[in-house]
Amino acid sequence: MARVYNWQIGREMSYWYPEHRPQKQFAAVFDTNKCIACQTCTLACKTTWTSGRGQEYMLWNNVETKPYGSYPLAWDLNLLKTLDGGKWNGGRYEGRTIFESAEAGERVLGWRPESQDYAYPNVGEDDCAGQVDAGAYMNSPHMAWFYYLARICNHCTHPACLASCPRGSIYKRPEDGIVLVDQSRCRGYQECVKACPYKKVFFNPMTGTSEKCIACYPKIEQGIQPQCFVNCIGKIRMAGFINKPQNARPDNPIDYLVHIKKVALPLYPQFGLEPNVYYIPPIHVPTPFTRQMFGPGVDAAVKTYRNATNDPDLAALLCLFGSSEMMMPQFRRQGDVISGIDAHGNTVVRVPVNEPVHVRPAYDRLYQIQRTNCP
Amino acid sequence: MRTRVLVMVPVLAALHGCRQVAPTANEVVALRVAQMPSAPGDGVWNTTSEYTAKLLPQDLVDPRLMQSSTQEVRVRALTNGSELALRLSWLDPQVNDLPGPGRFVDGCAIQIPRTIEANPPDPQMGQAGRPAGIAFWRADWQAAMNGRKDDIRSIYPNAAVDHYPFQAQSLEPGSTVQQEMAMRYAPAAAVGNRRVGPRRSPVEDMIAEEPGTLSPDPAGSSRGKGERTADGWSVMIVRRAPEGWGPKTRTQIAFAV
Repeated sequence: MARVYNWQIGREMSYWYPEHRPQKQFAAVFDTNKCIACQTCTLACKTTWTSGRGQEYMLWNNVETKPYGSYPLAWDLNLLKTLDGGKWNGGRYEGRTIFESAEAGERVLGWRPESQDYAYPNVGEDDCAGQVDAGAYMNSPHMAWFYYLARICNHCTHPACLASCPRGSIYKRPEDGIVLVDQSRCRGYQECVKACPYKKVFFNPMTGTSEKCIACYPKIEQGIQPQCFVNCIGKIRMAGFINKPQNARPDNPIDYLVHIKKVALPLYPQFGLEPNVYYIPPIHVPTPFTRQMFGPGVDAAVKTYRNATNDPDLAALLCLFGSSEMMMPQFRRQGDVISGIDAHGNTVVRVPVNEPVHVRPAYDRLYQIQRTNCP
Repeated sequence: MRTRVLVMVPVLAALHGCRQVAPTANEVVALRVAQMPSAPGDGVWNTTSEYTAKLLPQDLVDPRLMQSSTQEVRVRALTNGSELALRLSWLDPQVNDLPGPGRFVDGCAIQIPRTIEANPPDPQMGQAGRPAGIAFWRADWQAAMNGRKDDIRSIYPNAAVDHYPFQAQSLEPGSTVQQEMAMRYAPAAAVGNRRVGPRRSPVEDMIAEEPGTLSPDPAGSSRGKGERTADGWSVMIVRRAPEGWGPKTRTQIAFAV
């Protein structure tokens, strides 16, 4: 194993290959507080990429209801219970990553989902549409809250899928860091399925190969955000490129949210993959839970997010989410308006931070009628 | 079942009638026959001796197999001078012929040098610059040959399928547009990966120059057939004999189950 630096855990760690970062790294920020689990993202992806034979139960994008929902079943719990994790010392993770916990003869600590584990995607798992029988009740460790977790491939800086493939069939594109399975080379050994802790590589029994989220790279190449981003009803997503912390640019939306404001956090950083989808954690969830999921920065991130109304740049940037289908690697706020700027320096969208509010009197004097205002 | 085990044994080409056929042998002896067998159950297999090869776990490269589930494979061989037929039989009480996540189908492979030489390539997937020929049989491919449909309900009978875009009524079946639509959702098929069905043979020919380099052999012409026995599998693989193959020549052969 080689030694690589993982800034998310604040230390060097063991990895199968030497450190080799791409010229640019695709990244995203998801605001969990805005997600309504409408699954439009899921369907946008499914209709675009996974409507073929063998992909029937394959969801490159899924939204699950935490704390109990998961797809595939118990993807997180199954690993957490075997990983020697949870030992943070400030921003430094002192437990062992999945690479450092690999058993003899293995490259990565993982587990293999089976067919039935994919049989329970979130289909109304949190619907409360009927009456509860008298006397019925449930008791669980997390009684008073839930939230939605939208998930795609994290296009990790140190991907476990890539490390685990004995054939070298998985590669990370040097131009944008997107992780892909070479469909001409894959022979369906499923080592990647076992190794990915997020379980975002899927085995297709009809093609005999493994398949995964491709970050809609044909769109990225044209400066357009992926399907699950541009179709998001709740406007929870922002796609872009992230720099290393020491190279963070304050006018880069992803850098600003992740490195400067530290309001967006990686998913299970202790796994050691340096995942590149960052989450603004839910503000209403007890932090012992979210701290395990997003690392030690949760408390500060929630505080910063709650204070966004007093932080003009942060408040403005949150308004830029979902405002354009174009990638906006740069933003600029001027007064009450935020501009999203493309890679060529062109302004692609201008968004007012505070929308003007018009209150219509209930009585219309012109037509002499009474109207009811609807929200 | 998931096994990755291999063993290397010598294989000898012998002329039929030159020697007494023993029920067991210390090496694999390929007996010369006029008519090659068409199935693992052909009576002609009874004319040649059987070699029992002990299987070793694949513990050379990660991921390693620390414990093997199949201990040995029984091997018989026949030749007509230009082709070599091998029959591999092993114990396996459970049929695993359905692909899927976390599932690994039964299979076996033979590795034979491409030419007869004193110092053949490494028996574990060949070595750099010295490719080895490999013929690989799989139970799911055999099931397809035996008539199992190449669709999801053959694997998951209760699978729910709402709609496949390539089956839209607006697309004429078999038309170019329809085929293109089907390829759009099957990238491995679109780039010609031979893992994708429908299968034309239960055996795949490959070449390898070391572990991790396995690739299809476009010149391969192996054929074969697998059958369930009372207690396991019996698989016949027929392939072109190595260059320089002839009476009393010897070479190295490796098996994997």
